[in-house]
Order: sequence, then structure tokens, then C-alpha cells
Amino acid sequence: MTIIEPVESQTKYTGTRVRRTEDPRLLAGRGQYIDDVTVPKMIEAAVLRSPLAHARITNIDVSRARAHPGVFDVLTGQDLATVAGQQPVIWFPIPEQRIAKTHALAVDQVRWVGQAVAAVVAVDRYVAEDALELIDIDYEPLPVVADLDAALAPDAPKLYDDWPDNVSGSLTYTAGDPDAAFASADLVVSASFRHGRAFGCPLEPRGCIVNWDTFAGSLDVWLSTQSPNLARDLLAEVFGIPVHKIRVRTPNLGGGFGNKFDFYGEEVIAAVLSRRTGRPVKLIEDRAESFVATSHSRDQRLDFEMALRSDGTILGLRGVSYGVLGGAFGTVGSGPPWASVLTCMGPYKIPNMDVTVKAVMTNRSPYGSYRGWGVPKGNIVHERLIELAARKLGMDRTEIRRKNFPAPEEFPFFTGVAFTYDSGRYADCLDLATSKIDELGWRERQARARAEGRSVGIGYSFHVEPSAYGPSRILNLVGLAHSGFDEVTVRMDSIGKVTIYSGQINMGQGTHTIYAQLAADTLGIPMDDVVVITGDTDSCPYTGYGTGGSRAAPLGGAAILRAGERLRAKILRIAAELLEASPEDLQIQDGQISVKGTTGRSVSTRDVGDAAYRRLLNRLPEGETPTLEEVDVFDPPNMATSYGCTALLVEVDRETGTVSLLDCLQAHDCGTVINPMLVDGQLAGGLAQALGGALLEELVYDEEGQLKTASFMDYLLPTAMEIPPFHFYHQETPAPDIPGGIKGVGEAGPIAGVSLVGSAIDDALSDLGVAVTRFPCTPPRLLELIREAQSRKEGSA
Amino acid sequence: MSDKLTVSMTINGHTYTADCEPRLTLADFIRHGCGLTGTHLGCEQGVCGACTIIVDGRTVRACLVLAVQADGSTITTVEGLARGDELNPLQEAFWANHGLQCGFCTPGMLMSATEFLKANPEPTAEEVRECLSGNLCRCTGYDSIVKSVLDAAQKLRA
Repeated sequence: MTIIEPVESQTKYTGTRVRRTEDPRLLAGRGQYIDDVTVPKMIEAAVLRSPLAHARITNIDVSRARAHPGVFDVLTGQDLATVAGQQPVIWFPIPEQRIAKTHALAVDQVRWVGQAVAAVVAVDRYVAEDALELIDIDYEPLPVVADLDAALAPDAPKLYDDWPDNVSGSLTYTAGDPDAAFASADLVVSASFRHGRAFGCPLEPRGCIVNWDTFAGSLDVWLSTQSPNLARDLLAEVFGIPVHKIRVRTPNLGGGFGNKFDFYGEEVIAAVLSRRTGRPVKLIEDRAESFVATSHSRDQRLDFEMALRSDGTILGLRGVSYGVLGGAFGTVGSGPPWASVLTCMGPYKIPNMDVTVKAVMTNRSPYGSYRGWGVPKGNIVHERLIELAARKLGMDRTEIRRKNFPAPEEFPFFTGVAFTYDSGRYADCLDLATSKIDELGWRERQARARAEGRSVGIGYSFHVEPSAYGPSRILNLVGLAHSGFDEVTVRMDSIGKVTIYSGQINMGQGTHTIYAQLAADTLGIPMDDVVVITGDTDSCPYTGYGTGGSRAAPLGGAAILRAGERLRAKILRIAAELLEASPEDLQIQDGQISVKGTTGRSVSTRDVGDAAYRRLLNRLPEGETPTLEEVDVFDPPNMATSYGCTALLVEVDRETGTVSLLDCLQAHDCGTVINPMLVDGQLAGGLAQALGGALLEELVYDEEGQLKTASFMDYLLPTAMEIPPFHFYHQETPAPDIPGGIKGVGEAGPIAGVSLVGSAIDDALSDLGVAVTRFPCTPPRLLELIREAQSRKEGSA
Repeated sequence: MSDKLTVSMTINGHTYTADCEPRLTLADFIRHGCGLTGTHLGCEQGVCGACTIIVDGRTVRACLVLAVQADGSTITTVEGLARGDELNPLQEAFWANHGLQCGFCTPGMLMSATEFLKANPEPTAEEVRECLSGNLCRCTGYDSIVKSVLDAAQKLRA
């Protein structure tokens, strides 16, 4: 049972389409991203990367590089390992699992193409890259484990000699009696689903500037990160220096998408180079490097089956999710594939489950965070299987979903595996989406197109997004070596203006705007009077985790509301002294404080600021502490689960296997909507990423472990030509465990959008009985499905 | 590396003259030589469009041009769009329609749209999408950018 403190506030800004406070300077070209930052005496580094997927390093000769004019230093793995520990891992969800750690520079063995093996720092990047070509390395190639099948083969070469095989570990969750459920089922549907490798691919690659002052014993870091507090803690861990001697600042982020949550070796390399040269070192990842050096994600095979009664009731779910990890652990280890298993039942009541995650090492780049964090593949399992079942049972695809939803009164709803969803009106959300399909005339469009012989289909995806990560002790319990609370400081100054200090990061989602909206409403002041400061560990509070897990709005928002509420009470107490009234009788509107229901005398927040900071005599009540500042730490009692029903209209060209996206809508519930314009922006951007992942984007490896798609010519991001228009509709079911009722929204699109494309293609080709199970569904893959289905049909005719 | 050459160009009305290596890209010259960091680099191979600028009236990928090739040219970058501290109508439209999130692709989007709207004052949504297909955005899903450009077109016509 959770009791939430009531929050009293005006709602002048909350819920309205306020323009972003971040925008004017970004539009004017005045943003400051990592490569725009220059520090005095700064020099620039570049990294040499392994050309082989698996090899022993037998010799490194850096003498020619070191002698190159303009070069300050050359660093090898051996050098680095004398002063730096291995790259930290923070997620350990699988008990007893083997953890594959590595140094920021390979010491004696490389395990993926692109692994950093040496670094040069020089007067500028051009010279540093020249010198990279002068480093001579001898490799002794080792047998390559190129993919999941190769890794699991009985005689597979091993990545780690002291492991029995290439499996890091596995974990099974059971609920009810799955064997009995499957034995008694009328129907069992099964499939092996695959999602290819992909990554968040922020348009700005990663980068850092590190200044190691060996005399002060301090590290001063500029880092394009979503998690500055985490980076600070992990730098301290790697170097064994105290946290308070490290300052991490973040400039504007050119996108993050989880990729910039993780802690990378480049931060460590730049630090060591700075320590050795006595100069600040800038290290920027270029685009070509990003394809091998920024965390990969999504790569997974999911062999699952669902048991149902003939009326469509789901009885059971069982299966194995294979996480195709890389040659070493990234910061979050096997977290994302584990999260797929936690969410593979989605929004449905499934009483009997037997679900397993198995984490497997391959000679590919390390696996890490990407918006959605495993949940998109949980969604593929439940949404694809329920549609396959509907097809077998001859049921409507929406009816079978509705039949298996928990009713609103069944919340809080325990899924059977780890999560308890806080609240939901799933059937209402489904109805909202289907009513909009009718309103937009999709069914007529589809009928007309079919009459013309064109293959137009409508796809559905119902998703859940566990957000507001998360209750710290529960996160610790399931294997996170970090916390989930959020801390915020709300300060009113001597002239009555407000500054909010937060540990969250603004990476494009508009955090500064929504925080200002919430603070202005809670305090009763104009939004223009609020400034938000983030991105500096010296001046901003500690946040657990970082900005990920769709936590900035619900947790940061809740903390602002709670701190703001207390600050408002103090403002009223001081104003009461000035007005010779009782605080209970006062109201604040637009920064003016007056007695409710009267038009008499008023004072402003400026007067209150003056009384609290400067002229206290006869103004600040006796016993009241000077200054106007409140700190709040909010550790949520439960996560907040947002959800939505997404629909997509597509046309398939049966001759070429290409899919055109015609229109897309989403009915969504993220509790209290702080700014509908920004929520829609999050939904649209997330869906675009999913649509790219479903149709275009794949990091393709060959049998030698060479990455074949290492540029924008081969790794295809969707453009304005591929992405359809979007329509968004909101219902607001407040989060019961979060003050303000806010749920996260950042990962809705990526979770919903991949299975959605499969559903739409299946519908467009319903006469052929195609079932899309592999993503991305590229034209050659779809053509193969079409041809198989056609020959099956002809064979049976 | 090699001998430096003197280049001179006018950027946003100001003349910049410098000695630079022949291999220096125009993008690096503008960003680091001139301090105009609003022009962003997202791929350095001419695909993402973040470094789009206008050189002698036409859009150019600043990552694909060498500084020495731009000697004597007249250039507009994103810093040249606003009038004083007032955003121009295209920038205003991006602000009003949430046409940006992280802002990294935005300068390129603005420059491409600037050239496009000059030649196409009354575009359709489809034409706007085609114009912007050479500029990658990873945040917005494009719909809001299309709306921004259409909104700007309407305001510029009025």
C-alpha cells in the first residue's frame, strides 16, 4: 500500500504545448556539443582498432609513431593496464554468471573487430591519425566465433580459455504449471524470432575531453554522456581515485538513445593520455568508429511458444531468449536480453510460464544500452505469437488481445516474472486506437487498394513500457550495482527567481522545459522565472543510474513537485509575515502572493526573496532559516508502466519485397501528460527508430567476424522519405506510485514498432499466410517469405 | 605535412583569411578555424547532411569540400540565419512545431530548407520530404520537421 502526498499546484503550464526553452540557441547554431568545446592547452587523440575479430597480439611497435612530428604520446594496452583497472560492469541479473571484462585497450588478445589496441595523442586529430598508420602490430589469428550458432556449436572455439564454453550464464523464471498448461492446450503456436544487431546511432558520435591534474590529483572531464554521476563513480573505480576529486560535465548531447548511457574505454584512454602528457586530451569518435565502438544492441534469437484455449485464452508461455553478446561485457552486461524475458508476456495475463535468458559470447562488438533495452524483443514474442494464434483460431486480432488483458481493477498486476504493473486501462486504449483507424479511413483505403490488386495491410502492436527506473532496493535485488532514486534542488534566489539543479541529462527530450513547467506550476510563478541546470557533477545533485529507463520525467518530475511543495509553503510563511496574514489564507499566482478571495495588498516572490536573503529584519519570521531552498530525494516505491496501442498502414510490393509505410497512429497512456507536444515528439522519434530497425538497419557480420555495414551507405537509417506521418492520441491514467502521476514515455516507440511492422506485412499478405519472424525484414528476406508462401500455396492447390 | 596555402572567404558577411593545409576540410576550417561550431559533423562522408551550408547560393556538404576549394566564396552557415537576436521565420517555425530535439541535425535541416523554400515557395508535404531526404535526423521521426517547413513556407508567403 502506497500513500502519495497530495501535491497542490496551479496547472497553467502542465498539460499545455509550451515551446521548448532549449530551442532558440540550438536553432541559432549556438549549442555547445562535445566537439565544440575547447579547453586551453588541449591536444587531440585518435584510437587504433583491431582489424581482426579474434587474435593474439604478439608484438606492438610504436617507435615510428612516437617519433612522428606533432605526436605527444602513444599508448598501448600494456601501458594502460599499469594505471587503470578493467572496464566496469554494473548489471548482474543472472546469478553466478561468468563476467567477461577487459581493459580499455586490449592487452594481449583482441575479441572483436574495432577493439581498441593503441592510441596516439598529437597536436591535432589529423596528425594523430597520421601516426596511427605508423604503429606496427603483429597478430596471431584465432578461430572466430562469428554468430550465435557458431558460439553454441559443441566443438566451438572459446573466447575465454578458462570458461567451459561461450555461455556466460542462464536464468529461468517459472510461474504456475507450464507443462500442464501446454499439455491441456487446444492450440500451441511457436516461432523462432530473430532481431539483428543494431545500435542507437545518435547523430553526434561520442566524445570526451579529460584533464588529469596529477598535482591536484583531480580529473576534470567533459563527456557526452547520459549518466555523469555514473561516469564519475566508474572513473573513480577504474583509477582508484576518490569520487570527490572527479568532475564530469556534459555539454549539449546530439542524441543519446541509451548508447551514451554506457561507460566506454575512450574516457579511460583519454584520462591516461592526459595523465602522461600533462595536457587536456580530447578524444572524439568518428562515424566510422561508431559502428564498432559504440554499444551494439538488439541482437537476439527468441525461441518461444504460446499455449491457448480454443476461445483465445492464453494458458502458457515458454521459451528461451538467447542474447548474442560481444567479445566482452559492456557496462550493462546481459541486462537487455534479460529484460526481454521479463517483458515477454507484455500486457497479457499468462498464468503459466517457463522463460529463460541465456547470454552467449561471440566475436562481435560489446552489447549495451539502446532505447527500449530488451523490451522491444519481449514485445516481438507476445505480439507476434498472439497474432499467429488469432490466425489459427480465426479470431479477430484485437479481440484476442482484449480477451487476455488484465482489467483496470486487477492492478497492481503481477506479471508472474519480476514486474508489477502499476495501473492500466488497456481495453480503453485498444478501443481508442481502433476508433481512430476508422476515423482516418484506413479500412476504406485498404479495401480500395486491394480492389486494385495492391497489397495494403494494417498492423497492430500493444506494448507496455516499464518506466521510472526504479525502486533502488529492488534494482539492487535483481542485480544492479547502482541505485534508482533521483535528487533535485529547487532554489529561489534573492530576487525571487528559481533555479532547479538536477542530475538528469538533457539529450534532446526537453527535460529543461518540462522541469520548468512543473516548477512554475507548483510554485505559482511564471515559467520565465525558472532556469534548469544539469550536467555538472560539482554543482548538480546525484541521481541514481543516469538518464535512462524513461526516468527523467516521472522521477525528476516527482522530486521537483515534492521539493516545490515544501518551498511554496516557506514562501507563503514569509509572505504571511510581510502581509500580516495567515499562511493558510494565502495564494500565489504568477509570482504574486495575496490573500485568497481578496483584491487587496499583495507581495511578490521578489519581496520574499529579499526577506529571505538580504533584509531579514522584521521580514523573515522568527525561527525561519534564511534562504529559500529545498532538496528532495525521490526513490519510487514501484515503477510506472505506460502502455499504448499502435497501428500502421503499409503497402507491400510483392515483386520487389519492399514495404512502404503509409500512415501510423498510436493511442498512448503515460499518465499525466506534462507537454503533449514533447510527448508526441518522443513517441514519433521512437517509432521512427523502430521502423528503421524493423526494415532497414542491421549491423551485418560475415563468418570471419568482419562488420559489413560500417557506414551510412550500408547501415541504413530511415529518411523523411521512408517514415510515415504520425497521429497520436492520449488517455491519462495517473501513475499511482509517482507524485504528479507521471509515467515515462521515451521508449514507447522502439518497444512497439518492430512487431508492428511484422503485423502489418502479414496483413498485407494475408492471402499468402506469410508470418514475419526475422527483423529487419529487408526486401530480400521478405521476397523469400513471399516466394516460399507462394510455392506452398501452389503446392496445396 | 605539406605546405600551407592562404585561403580567404566571406562567411555570414565576415571575411576570414587563414593559412591552411590543403587537406583541411571546409567543415573543420569553419568549425575550428573560424569558431563557427553551429555546422556539425555527423558522418564526414556526405550522407547525414548535418554539415550542410550554403556556398555561393547552393547547398554544399562542408565535410566533402576542402577549405582551399572554397577560396574566394561567399558562405552562409546556420549562424547567419537569425537577424541579431531574432530567429528568422524558418527557425521560428521549427521552434513552434517542435522540429528539433537534440538539435544536432538542425543546422543542416535549416540550410537545406532555406535553399529549397527559395525555389519552392508553395511546396507539398511530399516535396518537403524529398528535399529533406538527404538530411538524417535520429530524434524526431521527421513529421514535425516537415510540418515546420510547411509552416515556414506559409508564413513566408503571407
